[in-house]
This record gives sequence, C-alpha cells and structure tokens, in this order.
Amino acid sequence: MAVSTDFAPPFKLIAPYFLLGTLSFIVSVLMLYGVDIDDIFQTSPQTIAWVHLFLLGFVMMVIFGAMAQLVPVVLEVGHFAVDLYYAIYPLLLTGSFMMSYGFLHSPGLLPYGGTVVLISLLIFVSETFLTINKVKRFNTVMVSVIIANLFLFLGMIFGITLALGFAGEIAVDLHALLKAHIYLVLFGYVGTTIMGISMVLLPMFWLSHSFSWRPVKTALWLISIGVVSVVLASLSDIALFGYAGYALTLAAYGFYIYQIYIIYKTRVRIEEDIYKDSLLFSYISFVVALLLGVAGFVFSNERIFVAAGFLALVGFVAFLIIGHLYKIVPFLVWYERFSPLVGKRKVPMLADMVPAYSAKFGFYYNAVGVSVTTLAIAFDQPFIFKAGVSFLLIGSIFVFKDILYMINYKE
Amino acid sequence: MVTKEDIFKAISTVKDPEVGFNLVEMGLIYDAEYNPETKHVQVTMTLSTKACPLHQMILQWVEEAVLRELPEVESVDITLVWEPAWNISMADENVKKALGGA
Repeated sequence: MAVSTDFAPPFKLIAPYFLLGTLSFIVSVLMLYGVDIDDIFQTSPQTIAWVHLFLLGFVMMVIFGAMAQLVPVVLEVGHFAVDLYYAIYPLLLTGSFMMSYGFLHSPGLLPYGGTVVLISLLIFVSETFLTINKVKRFNTVMVSVIIANLFLFLGMIFGITLALGFAGEIAVDLHALLKAHIYLVLFGYVGTTIMGISMVLLPMFWLSHSFSWRPVKTALWLISIGVVSVVLASLSDIALFGYAGYALTLAAYGFYIYQIYIIYKTRVRIEEDIYKDSLLFSYISFVVALLLGVAGFVFSNERIFVAAGFLALVGFVAFLIIGHLYKIVPFLVWYERFSPLVGKRKVPMLADMVPAYSAKFGFYYNAVGVSVTTLAIAFDQPFIFKAGVSFLLIGSIFVFKDILYMINYKE
Repeated sequence: MVTKEDIFKAISTVKDPEVGFNLVEMGLIYDAEYNPETKHVQVTMTLSTKACPLHQMILQWVEEAVLRELPEVESVDITLVWEPAWNISMADENVKKALGGA
C-alpha cells in the first residue's frame, strides 16, 4: 500500500466531524436520563431517539470524518470531490437532531429529519463510490469499503421508508423493515467498516508484523452473507434465512476477534497509553456483549439481550472510536501545524499532544459508566442505571474537552 | 569523502513523530552510498508500516536531512523497499526496550 499525503484533506474540514461527533455523544448520554429501562425492550420513543442520535450524531459523524482522511489512505487515490465533506456534517447533524426530536415529541418531523440524513448519507456514499471508481487495483480493505457502503445505501432506503411508515405517511411492515434497517446499517455498514479499517489502523498503531490476514478476510465474507441473509429473512418471513444470518454474523465476529488477538499478540509497541486501554476495554466489551447476546437468545431473555446490545454500542463501538480519536486527532493537528517545521526547529512528538491524565480520567469514568449501566439494564435497576449514566456524562465531557485541547494544541 | 556512517548520522536527525525515535535507531535505513564523482547519495530504506500516512513526508525529510547535514552532497535518491520487511529485531536495543520488543 503506497500512501500519498498529497491526498490528505485540510484539517479544518475534518475537525468539525470530531467536535460535533463528541458533542453529540454528550447529548446522547444526557438523553439516557430519559430512557426508562423498564420499557427499553418495547423500542420506546426515548430509546429509538437515543439510538439515532448516538449512531448518527456520534458514531457516523466520527466515522465519516475519519473516512475523509482514511479513504485516500485505503484506496490510494485522491477524493473525487473532497469539498463535498463540507456539506455532509451540517446535514448529518441537523438531520440527526431532527430525527431524535421527532421520535421524542413530533413524529411528523421524522420524514423531514430522515430526508436530511438521507441526503447527507447519499452525498457520502456517492463521493465514496466516485472515489472508488478511480481505483485501478483492489485489495481486501478496498472491497470492505465497497461492501460497507453498499449496505449503507440499502440501509438508508429502508430507513427512509421506515420513517415514512412511522410518521403514518405510508403503510409498511415496520417490524420487518426495522430489522433489515438495523442489520444493514449497524452490522452491514458500521460492522464491516470497523473490520476493514481495523486492518489498516491497528497494525499501524501497534506496529504488528508477520501475521496472517485470513481470519479477518473470512470474517468479512461471513458478515456480508450474514447481513444479506437476515435482510432476506425480514422481507420474506423465511425463518431459516434469519437463523443462518445470525449464525454467520456470530461466526464472523469470532474470526474478527481472533484476528484482533493475533494483531495484539504480534504487536511491537506495548507501552501503556489511552489507545491501548480504550481498545482493550472495547474488545473485552465486545466479547462480553457477544456472550450475553448468545445467552439472551438461547434463554429467550430479552433483558440480557438488550444489555448485550447496549454494551456492544457504548462499550465496544464508542470506546473503539474514542481510542482512535486520541491517535487520529493529534496526528492530523501535528501534520497540519508541525510537519512543515521538521528540520527547521524542534517539534513536539504526537504523544506530547495527548492530555494523558485527562484522557485517563475520562476513560475510567466512561468505563465505570458503561459497566454500571449495562449491569443495571441486565438486573433491572433504574436508579443504578441513572447513576451509571452520570459517570458516562462526566467521561463524555472529558472526551470532548480533550478533543478541543488537542485541536487547539500549542507548544 | 562522505562515508556511510556520515550519511547515517545525517539521517539520524530525522525522528518518527509517532514513536519518538530516529529512523536509524529504528532500523529503517538499510543502506546508503555516496558517489564522489557525481556527489550523489543513494539511500535504501523502508518504513515501519506500509500504511504509514507520513510516507512521502518521511522520504522528503530524509532527503532534506542529508542535503542539510552534508554540504558536499548535491543530490539524493531514496529507494523505498518492503523486502526485507521491517521488524523490531532491526531496531537498536534502546528502541526495543522502550517499545517493548526486547
């Protein structure tokens, strides 16, 4: 992989994604105070509103910002039109908040919020595909980007249909569409993107060498077939497709975790930092979430199943994103501000730009928060849940503060 | 006369900002040669990862460092190779110890 820094977008384009993403994370945590864990299974408006702000405002926002930087790295070509990213984040933020508000107070707002989100996602997907069109030779990571964006495109179509149905504009089977929508966006886009990008970022940051890529390649194929299978099941009512899809997804994650274990074991860098702590917590959460998910499925215990889902989102996905922010943001700031000064005067190292104690502080609060809230959901303890949310709130504020600090870093 | 050691010393002024060590102690510089007739330096080096986002910049820093530190050199060419692939055993002991590979 030959990477060109010529293709790197300006930091002023990417910074809003990380700032608005982490700000949305704080707001989404605040929204958890309004979630009643007694009816969390009933897909209450509070729960759906929280899921959408968390996934669109935080997860998607940060992923899109990272992709603005990583797409040229992964595809080895420049963006088709990187300036389009200036339009994506305001639309995504506006649409996310409109949708969340719509779920909570005004269902009539949903199609409008959904359309705004749809436009932002369409711009992102179109720009990505037009960039992919410039690629001459494909590797596994590039294929994962294509598959992920195809799933995102389909997930958007299901999502907007769902929003119209939820608002009462059209009559559709909401349950079937919801399952397909969740699977396409969450497992199809977020899951595949995480797998593909892990192949680039983890060995790069940990300096892992001389290992086989076979497990993650297998995982990518399995999850792709699994997602298609579950979508077919939700549209056709053929239960066998559903069970096959769940089994394939589980197997895919088994292979993926094994790949992460291999990368972790062959890493050269073993120093303790916020990146290692965040990723360890993230992947441990993921393993526990998978085990809880299987237990919830086998014993038909919805509460355990929901706890697993919550842990997968806030323990696995959020910590994975936050850990990477502490690596990506200092690099981008350093690249923009200090790399031209190399050889001319002393410049800071990337590690100097990370507020280590503050990051650690935020990490512990978030880790306690996720653990307490997950246990509270599993054991039906609403008061403990709110206590856990308070820990998450402090942790999320520290993450936002740290991003601001790194963006404004001065020697 | 510029020796291989002189060239390595010049390149050792270039630090990898991510790990904080210079390229020579990281073991990234495989070979360097000076041609006194053409006053040209040929460097053969690798990077710690193919996905390094500073790929082009690091090559540029190496070139600038050689020209800056060795005034008698007039031109520099860098050949970036991926074989043999870099691994921690190529680094100096202090790097291995600090990164954890020792």
